[in-house]
Amino acid sequence: MSVEERLPAPAGLLLDRSKKISFRFQDKQYEAWQGDSIASALAASGQWILSRSFKYHRPRGILSMAGQDANALVQLPSDPNTLADVTPVSDQLAVVAQNFKGSLEHDKHAWIGRFSRFMPAGFYYKAFFRPKGVWEKIWAPIIRSRAGLGVVDTNYTSGYFDKQYAFTDVAVIGAGPAGLSAALAAANGGASVLLVDENRLLGGSLTYARLAGAADAAARHREQLVSAVGAHANITVMCESMCNGWFTDNWLAVIKGSRLYKVRAKEVIVCSGSMEQPAIFRNNDLPGIMLGSAAQRLIKWYAVRPGRQAVVLTGNSHGYGVALDLLDAGVRVAAVVDMRAEPTADALSRAIADRGVRIITGSAIYEAVPDASKNHVVAVEVRGISARGRCADHGERIPCDLVCMSPGYTPAYQLICHAGGRVAYDDATSMFTLEGLPQHMHMAGSVTGMYVHESVCAEGRYAGRAALQSLGLSTEDIEPAPVRGLSDRVNFDWPIFAHPAGKEFVDFDEDLQIHDIIVSTLDGYEDIQLVKRYTTVGMGPSQGRHSALATARIVADATGRTVAETGVTTARPPFAPERIAHNAGRSFYPERHSAMHHRHLEAGAQMLIAGAWLRPAFYGEKGQRDQCMAREALNVRQNVGLVDVSTLGGIEVRGPDAAELLQRIYTFRFAKQAVGRCRYAVMANEQGVVIDDGVACRLHEQLYYVTATTGGVDRVYQSMLRWNAQWRLNVDIANVTSTWCGVNIAGPKSREVLRRLCTDVDLSSQAFPYMGVQEGHVAEIPARIMRVGFVGELGYEIHVPQHYGEYLWDRLMEVGVEYGIQPFGIEAQRLLRLEKGHIIIGQDTDAMSFPAEVNLDWAVAKEKPFFVGNRAIQEVNTRGLTRKLAGFVIEDANAPCPQESHLVLDGDRMTGRVTSCYVSPTLGKTIGMAFVAPEQAQPGSTVTIKSTNGRLVEAKIVKLPFYDPDNKRQEM
Amino acid sequence: MTTVHPETLKRRSMLYRKLATEGARFERTDDGAAPASYANANEVACARKMGIADLTTLPRIGFKGKDTPAWLVQHGVKLPGGPNQACLQQDATLVVRLSNDEHLLLDDVEFSGGLVARLASLWAFESDRLCYKLLREHSHFWLLLVGEYASAMLAKVCGVDMQPKQFPFGCVAQTSVARNNAIVVRSLLGTTPAFHLLADSASAEYLWFCLLDAMQEFNGGAVGLEALRALARESNSR
Repeated sequence: MSVEERLPAPAGLLLDRSKKISFRFQDKQYEAWQGDSIASALAASGQWILSRSFKYHRPRGILSMAGQDANALVQLPSDPNTLADVTPVSDQLAVVAQNFKGSLEHDKHAWIGRFSRFMPAGFYYKAFFRPKGVWEKIWAPIIRSRAGLGVVDTNYTSGYFDKQYAFTDVAVIGAGPAGLSAALAAANGGASVLLVDENRLLGGSLTYARLAGAADAAARHREQLVSAVGAHANITVMCESMCNGWFTDNWLAVIKGSRLYKVRAKEVIVCSGSMEQPAIFRNNDLPGIMLGSAAQRLIKWYAVRPGRQAVVLTGNSHGYGVALDLLDAGVRVAAVVDMRAEPTADALSRAIADRGVRIITGSAIYEAVPDASKNHVVAVEVRGISARGRCADHGERIPCDLVCMSPGYTPAYQLICHAGGRVAYDDATSMFTLEGLPQHMHMAGSVTGMYVHESVCAEGRYAGRAALQSLGLSTEDIEPAPVRGLSDRVNFDWPIFAHPAGKEFVDFDEDLQIHDIIVSTLDGYEDIQLVKRYTTVGMGPSQGRHSALATARIVADATGRTVAETGVTTARPPFAPERIAHNAGRSFYPERHSAMHHRHLEAGAQMLIAGAWLRPAFYGEKGQRDQCMAREALNVRQNVGLVDVSTLGGIEVRGPDAAELLQRIYTFRFAKQAVGRCRYAVMANEQGVVIDDGVACRLHEQLYYVTATTGGVDRVYQSMLRWNAQWRLNVDIANVTSTWCGVNIAGPKSREVLRRLCTDVDLSSQAFPYMGVQEGHVAEIPARIMRVGFVGELGYEIHVPQHYGEYLWDRLMEVGVEYGIQPFGIEAQRLLRLEKGHIIIGQDTDAMSFPAEVNLDWAVAKEKPFFVGNRAIQEVNTRGLTRKLAGFVIEDANAPCPQESHLVLDGDRMTGRVTSCYVSPTLGKTIGMAFVAPEQAQPGSTVTIKSTNGRLVEAKIVKLPFYDPDNKRQEM
Repeated sequence: MTTVHPETLKRRSMLYRKLATEGARFERTDDGAAPASYANANEVACARKMGIADLTTLPRIGFKGKDTPAWLVQHGVKLPGGPNQACLQQDATLVVRLSNDEHLLLDDVEFSGGLVARLASLWAFESDRLCYKLLREHSHFWLLLVGEYASAMLAKVCGVDMQPKQFPFGCVAQTSVARNNAIVVRSLLGTTPAFHLLADSASAEYLWFCLLDAMQEFNGGAVGLEALRALARESNSR
């Protein structure tokens, strides 16, 4: 059929017949209309095979035309496993089939199917492992070469994917008649409604299925509902959008194009519909055999005639609607095979009879017959049903090139299960039912087992009104929900017909036959979850959409239970395949820059990541770390250096009880700290573990400015708030980290540099001694100046309001030129503080470090009646230490410099680990700190460090600090 | 209006380099500079749809502590009814109540108020009064997101529903924007929807990038004070 030979309108709802396009499939050129799917365009041209099956390489064609099966998976240039039945074809698109060897029509691996009886489910658990080594050498390479479906394009460049929140009163999932009715009812009551549907058209089954009465009854109903929805200001419509998961509190993941919508809905109405099921008989997977609804979609959506001569197998009245549509499309219907012995006569079946179509009741298709190439159905053998699942010994062969299957449905229950709903089974109607919906979730339509159009719409309206009541937008009594009637019984109880020669496929994805499911139960795997894992049923791309019901029935039968007792496997998000890019796209990774950030970059800094901060590690070429660090450190020791300390945390504690709060929060004493003085502050948790440190500066009797570590300030702030919620001290606590930025100007010439810019503070040693704090101006900027000595030299930390930071840096660097000022980075700062024996919390401590272990017992005021961690610290001190942080030097100049976490040994016994280690340019040797056993911590002891490549290095324990033990440098 | 270069001034928005790259011409604001315009003939039209303006160097201040409400009222400030609400003063200063005891005051784009400066000069650290000044002009950078698509754009970076019906004028959200703590205040520039967004100064460049990226689909872009003022005047005259 060429594009011009398509069925006339109104068939072809999705086609734009003004735009003809062409594309390639398997190196052959095809024509299509704009709007065609890949599969519809191929079908229109007589190309019915789309792919080969996973295990036996059987030819596979259209099954659902709804994106619900693995038959339709094809390869696009950069997209493997694309659903050909729902993916629109585009001009010049290159499509190839998947999973075949040789040609699609003549697969060289198709012989495997002949040996299927030797490869039942689970056979790989019983094979491949003997003799020893055979798996790695023989089987794994073979299986790996054949595993998988499409081919990943490793040169693929991802497009732009992102995420967006969406908010609504009511989210309606599914825009079929129930969804449209629900949306209108909710919107009419004043709710904002988001209507989500995976298809290009609104209307669900009304776009393709046949209602009783006139041929265009469904179209007219659809037009009415869709027009009303389109005109409603309260309804937002999202077509081609897949609701892929429900999460707590009605958080819905909806994917549309390259965006993941994170929908927050106060109420959710699930109108996801139901999925037509295949019947199970021999060769039910041949191209040309499809669901009845698939044939209807081909006709109504794409104006494609699905065959020339058809047999319709049905267990409900819907099959008669399929037959009528086929007749209207010019397909000869050889017979309607109704599995029901005494089908209820209704308008559709009467219409079929009136058109002279043969109806064979109480019968089933026993076997489909392929053509000589085994690539398409050419006939079916129809036999009477002699008992449940059994056919008579003889039947009738009916030629056909199309078989439409309408044996029943399963509800699209996945979203409801994500939300905690349960799937049950009604043995009387042979249908799945749903129960246990959470609050603020409703459902309507065929997902509830409702199939009569008027009842479906009524149930939709009922759900919409129930949502309004839940929202508090309506207090009116709601008319009772419609009740399912006989006409809603659409499932034939046992459309499963075993054949002695097998090939009756239960799961098309994994080529699983009836026998495979039974074998699982015979091997002892009777629970449905175990059956799934043993056979892989439901684990393929279609995730059991067409196999769950049949599997439950077969397992129930094989194990002597009811289907209700057998149940189904768990449905988890996502409902449909989604790209990793949808989850990975446009994620946020906050990054913080200090006010001087660009000055560091301009000076050639190599930046390191510290939490969200970027900090200058050192200034110079990437490979010159050690040299740069040594040069920067020596300049601090000899001249003056400038380091950005803006990332340090800052907390202000203000009010009459400010000193009392510090007294309780920190281990040291602060009650008598003088205004204008700084004091080292160690914070412990309730377990006595050191968790942070900083400097507490008393700026006023009632005002402390406390610094905290870069990574720890948020925790310190939270801790202060939490404790004071109990203590109720009269203080105000403010995290001012972002308010202030800071630099540390350090080195013997730092005072001279600072004097050039600071005229309102006496910087002399007498007026401004070590551990003093003053407020004044630097470069005419208001500043807090602290005389502290982290790097062991005369130095000042200057903190100024954030947006003055770059100006401060510029001015200090400018006036410092004549004193040899150079910026220094975090690496040099770490080296300098190590020389001075200062620890870094988090590097020289861990989650088990008590003050005495890390030589901070001097900073613990033991006489205080209370501070956080006091009791635990006392307890630990009573018991005695099990390890101690000690300084060490390595005299051997040829020994490798140990790295952090290298082990400290005592013979074969591991006694500790290195926490910091550098080659000191000032001291001319390798120095470090390490946790060692208490008996090893005495100065003069020798320890062994297992260094790089396992080399054992002798280190001598020395007294800290390594540099300037009399503190003359920092107190000058 | 005299044009200046931010690097000649002491107080600098962390964004000034990026704004300059976008073609900003700066005007003086107290001891800093703010983008006046971007040499874009359609800047006002852009602002009506989706504009982003850096107001970081404009006057603002915060006060915190249990005596703060009383102190502000004493100095003639009308307070919002409760936390997470904002209200305009007669002089167009926007007072944002972040908690019972914490308030943020934002000057307007004309700098017409003077309330911020007045309160800053009146305040002093006093032992018997628990009202403390917060240097909000330094702790936070300040952006104005303006235009009819502003709430749609914010839905791409923030989990709070900021549609006009749910988040009308005066609503305040202290929330996460692009995984970064932020204060978002629903405002109005004349009749054009606007959102003040204030967040940690150190995150300015990061959030600027995120927001520009999010507003691409709305053809959004940077706009200056002149466009904002034009929009405000034009809208007020309607």
